[in-house]
Amino acid sequence: MDIFVQQLVNSLSVASVTILIGIGITLIFGLAGIVNFAHGEFLMVGGMATWFMVGAGMNFFVALVFAGLLVGALGFAAERCLFRFTLNRPMNGFIMSIGLSVILQHAVIRVFNEFQKSITDPVGLVWTIGGVDVTAMRAIVVAITAVIVAITYFGISRSRYGMALRASVSDRDTAELMGIPVRRYVTGVFIYGSLLAGIGGALMISLFPITPFTGSVIIIRGFAVSLIGGLGNVGGAVVGGLVLGLVDGLSAGYGYPEWTDAYSLVVMILILVLRPQGLLGGTLGPKAS
Amino acid sequence: MRQLGLGLAMAAAGLAMALQTANADEELPIGVIAAQSGSFVSAGNTIVGAANLAAQQINDAGGIKVGDKTYKVKLYIRDNRTDVNVTIAAARELVNDIGVKAIWGTETHDFSVSMAKITGPAKVLQFSGNSSLGAVLDDKAVAEDGWLHYAFQSEPQEWQRSGSTAKGVLSLLTPQLKSPPRHSVVFVGNDATGQYLSSHYVKALEAEGQKVDLVQYPPDTTDFSPLLTRIKGMKPDIVHFWYNGDSTLTAFPQALKLGVAPSYFLFGVDPGIYQERSLKADVPVTMSCVPVCWGSSPYPEVKQYFDKYFGLGAAKGPQSSVSLLYYDYFFWYAKALEKVGKIDDPDAVVAELLKSDYKGVVSPVPLVFNKHHQVTFATEVCMVEPNTSDQFKCAVEQPPAAPPPGDNGG
Repeated sequence: MDIFVQQLVNSLSVASVTILIGIGITLIFGLAGIVNFAHGEFLMVGGMATWFMVGAGMNFFVALVFAGLLVGALGFAAERCLFRFTLNRPMNGFIMSIGLSVILQHAVIRVFNEFQKSITDPVGLVWTIGGVDVTAMRAIVVAITAVIVAITYFGISRSRYGMALRASVSDRDTAELMGIPVRRYVTGVFIYGSLLAGIGGALMISLFPITPFTGSVIIIRGFAVSLIGGLGNVGGAVVGGLVLGLVDGLSAGYGYPEWTDAYSLVVMILILVLRPQGLLGGTLGPKAS
Repeated sequence: MRQLGLGLAMAAAGLAMALQTANADEELPIGVIAAQSGSFVSAGNTIVGAANLAAQQINDAGGIKVGDKTYKVKLYIRDNRTDVNVTIAAARELVNDIGVKAIWGTETHDFSVSMAKITGPAKVLQFSGNSSLGAVLDDKAVAEDGWLHYAFQSEPQEWQRSGSTAKGVLSLLTPQLKSPPRHSVVFVGNDATGQYLSSHYVKALEAEGQKVDLVQYPPDTTDFSPLLTRIKGMKPDIVHFWYNGDSTLTAFPQALKLGVAPSYFLFGVDPGIYQERSLKADVPVTMSCVPVCWGSSPYPEVKQYFDKYFGLGAAKGPQSSVSLLYYDYFFWYAKALEKVGKIDDPDAVVAELLKSDYKGVVSPVPLVFNKHHQVTFATEVCMVEPNTSDQFKCAVEQPPAAPPPGDNGG
């Protein structure tokens, strides 16, 4: 029983980082209409920046904020200099983002090196509760993710900005005629999604080492989470992340361990076949015009 | 006057051409194919680092005296981008267009085999540090008309490495545990190399009396906690993190937090990295390197080598020691060329390599190629004292004389 509960606890913390990157992708892909395959590299850059700042003596939680801001700025630059020219041709943006991901990987290798980077556990505590080991940092990651999810959810569903954004997705031309600065909103969403990737990278390196290639692995899970939950749906990303986290944790614990990645992708395929709009429904993603 | 000028110009041109020819004659073109980008970059860069150091030292010492000429090593380094197709293209370019006499690389078994299909027919020597080449280096393949006649495996056969490693790990850990270890779990990445290497290591542990469970994880896993929790439920005496040093460095701290086992073995993790990362465990931890540790070596030659290697700007990583699978062979090849007396007789060079030996850095006893073009040398296993990051006790284990039961020795 202890082992089973331990697996559930493990699944929750894994799900948190996945949810964070999933939310970024679901906003940028589902609401701004940009397929940014370099989003995983944005996360990696956030992790590398955190490693650098912590190594220079900065407190981890301060470094986390700076990493978010740095990657937010990177997102701003990428959107203004690259993706804004592909808004009407999402496939061009997609291919461009693959190129950007390779450039970012090798820029990091050039600046630092190719080896994996890690930091000392910022909290360094393990609580044993009823025979189950709970790493304090993992619990903090879950808590930070919950706060970000709540802010994002209410920002999208309740705020004026969020309503305007949803209106833009629903009917871009009418939204523009109503005076909504759609282009500026797209930039805002891209920056916010990138900022979340930066924070996700910081949280990730607090749990696991990262390499310049970490982003290319995690991006697949990020897209899976956003599609399972429903594009543009923050609640959907949370559900998608939890589903993948549970499937990963329990299949690793009780299934064929070497097939762990396959189980979660099979679940994704099944959900997309049975509910193409995702579990909670969402937008249809980017449209070419 | 005009004729005199023309004559002088022609004489100068002739002299320049003669000098150019003389310079070209003194160049020994050697190819290096390694991952300098892509996911195998940390292993690939070590090949380049070793090649640069060896070439610099050979050239600084005056070059290679072959017959009445002296050759300087000219390296042609190609990035395979961790892609087998790029590897093949690079091998074709080096062999067909540049005309290299030998190629060092690559870091990956599959790529090395693909390269051998190009180097073999062109009679270009190939030195690859893949223990898994043992699966293809047999009597027929290395025969004079075989497709691997010009290929050499610069790493011991896997059953030898696995045997010496298993013996070293158990001899260091047994005195540290309350009762002799009986149950081992081998934790390994589920890719071609991981499957090949672990199949030998499991047999080696069984030969030492261990009950062994094998748990494979998908490559690129970063969160090992679900799998480690599963292993914890198996109640092992030792968890052996096998094969991929980078993955091990990710998984090991997670195992410590979960208290998975009373002792651990980390394959491919150098004591130098353990120390740099300030890793600490309250249980005994052993580790070994491929092939010799840079962080805690008993041999002064190895220490001197790594001082020079890192002095050239190579990064300190868990796989830095892999460079030693390549370095010595430059000097051994040079020695063979000097003995043969010409650089254009690859068959004679192969014959000379097979009958000669070379005392290099990687081994205190001279290296010798067996009839399947494979070397043999010992394995160093180190143990770090519990609750320290820098107190190591190391032992050098010789390989077993024969493969263990159930291991066909490939």
